[in-house]
Amino acid sequence: MQLVQLFSVVQLANALALASLLTILASGLALIFGLRDVMNFGHGALYMLGAHLGYSLTGAMSFWVALIVAPLLLCVVGLAFEYAVLRPLRHRSHIDVALVTFGLALVLGQVVTIVWGRAPLSMSAPESLASSMSLFGEPYPRYRIFLIAVGFGSCAALAAWLKWTRSGMHVRAVSQQPLVARMMGVNTDRLSLLVVCLGSGFAGLAGVLAGPYLSIDPGMGSHILISCLIVVVIGGLGSIGGAIASAVLYGFIQVIGSVLSPTLAVLAPYLLLFFVLLWRPQGLGRGRVA
Amino acid sequence: MSGVQRIAPIKKPMFAAAPDSRRGSHWYRLAGVVALIVLGLFVPAAVRNPFYLGLMINAILLAIAAISIGFLAHQCGLVMFGAAGLTGGATYLFGIAVTQFGWTIVPSAVFCLLAMTAACAAIGAMVVRARPLPFAMLTLALSEMLHSAVMVTDFRAVTGGDDGLQIDMQGSLFGLSASDLSHAQAFWPVAWLCLCGVMILAWAMGRSRFGQILRATRINEERMRFSGFDTYLPRVLAFTLAGFMAGVSGLLTGLNQAFASPELLNFTTGGNGLVAMLIGGAGTVGGPVLGAFLYTIGQDQFGASGHLELFTGIGVVLVIVAFPDGAMGFVLRLVRRPTGGSVDAQG
Repeated sequence: MQLVQLFSVVQLANALALASLLTILASGLALIFGLRDVMNFGHGALYMLGAHLGYSLTGAMSFWVALIVAPLLLCVVGLAFEYAVLRPLRHRSHIDVALVTFGLALVLGQVVTIVWGRAPLSMSAPESLASSMSLFGEPYPRYRIFLIAVGFGSCAALAAWLKWTRSGMHVRAVSQQPLVARMMGVNTDRLSLLVVCLGSGFAGLAGVLAGPYLSIDPGMGSHILISCLIVVVIGGLGSIGGAIASAVLYGFIQVIGSVLSPTLAVLAPYLLLFFVLLWRPQGLGRGRVA
Repeated sequence: MSGVQRIAPIKKPMFAAAPDSRRGSHWYRLAGVVALIVLGLFVPAAVRNPFYLGLMINAILLAIAAISIGFLAHQCGLVMFGAAGLTGGATYLFGIAVTQFGWTIVPSAVFCLLAMTAACAAIGAMVVRARPLPFAMLTLALSEMLHSAVMVTDFRAVTGGDDGLQIDMQGSLFGLSASDLSHAQAFWPVAWLCLCGVMILAWAMGRSRFGQILRATRINEERMRFSGFDTYLPRVLAFTLAGFMAGVSGLLTGLNQAFASPELLNFTTGGNGLVAMLIGGAGTVGGPVLGAFLYTIGQDQFGASGHLELFTGIGVVLVIVAFPDGAMGFVLRLVRRPTGGSVDAQG
């Protein structure tokens, strides 16, 4: 295997496409964890729901409508999740809430199966993005470039919000010192409503974006959830920057590993997770320990 | 012992070496348990339909896995999300011993349990340091890793890849040949006795000083360390024990089905045991067993319509929100007087 072939532009772009999808999901997961201390095992199900909604909306109207409306619908789901689950259960242990989200994911998976069926659905990219373009002399699907742009663009927007706005500062404060932040007058409940809506909306966005890139079926959620959990843990629970960095790392390992050695590509993420958790339990970022 | 009693505000019955007035009832209880075990051996005589007997055997296999998860959850507060890695891993170990090493049933089974125990001791030494949430994710990652590993083409010669591993057993176990083991009627005593053995093991461990230390550590680890207790080693042992119990379940699956498929290592397979444990309640040894039987009945009733997951999900949410002690806790609360023993008393 030639090294040049390994690190071709196409491979790098493929790694980034996978990473951008994971980044969107993982940053939503990390946000919710940071604010509510909840590991949302239903995040994969939200993503799966988003993909199915995106499929129907694309069929009824267009991809662009789906790209806007599906995340908004998921925000509403997040609203219900916050009011019906997270607030009543806020005094229960982390594991209890995690198990409730696991149960809800099962329910949501079944509801989607009843409505859309179990068969894999495929969705085509919109006309303007369907063709290939030249990427440093190599043909590359336009849609993946779009995916990378939207994925990292939305994460950059999220990071900017966290860094430079007042509400973003409050989110960071609550993630790091919940008690102190509350004593200083930060309204945690209102903030968590915002963040859970945002996290769910991001899951929906990832779902719609994944539609033309991967196939849509009720099992897609649980598969990506595992990758997502690995990314969030490696990046440091509750840390957005860490999640983005580790998503990129994960994408590169997957794509380049699959060229170099498929066996290694399959096992590497888990081994990485093990080493990170044993060597640096707080993750690579500056997140908190669960 | 007295150290534990002073520091940990645990409900009294945990330490009770049976109050004096009830000491005489000990022998009755023992006789009752022995009678129940013997009576259980005659279930195949009562349940003639091989389908229902097979269903009950499935319930037993699930129950053993659920006891293992429940033991760790109740004694250490650590919930395994990836129990499939342990049960399925044991099935694969057994299969590999039979197909690769060419051993007969008994040495393969012994190898499977010993290797499982050793592997779990090594894994436990790493993972029990983690807090409950990272622990759940670590075990999940471990089982997913095994799931991916058996499907990798490089290991295909050993694990059979996607096709699974056909286990052609030679020799016999307690006079039962490989074909006998696949029949529900003949396999029942093996499964039943294993279930009883695992239940007694979990119960005895929970009652012992070892169990008290584990529960006290779960409640307040720092205090236990102050009081001079080692809090790490007991938890490694507990994980090893849970791994051994899950290994028994996986071994029985291998013996009964003579086949190891990657599906055994699936997230959902481990989820079944977890759900059974939650529905039954982890507070008692009987809880996971009750939960496993309820779950298997549900699987039979709703499995065909595909609504099983829907009811499972609703059940899990309902149990955690409304009945944290599970079905067994609910039953016990009905049976016992309000001031009587507590559900937490490890039975």
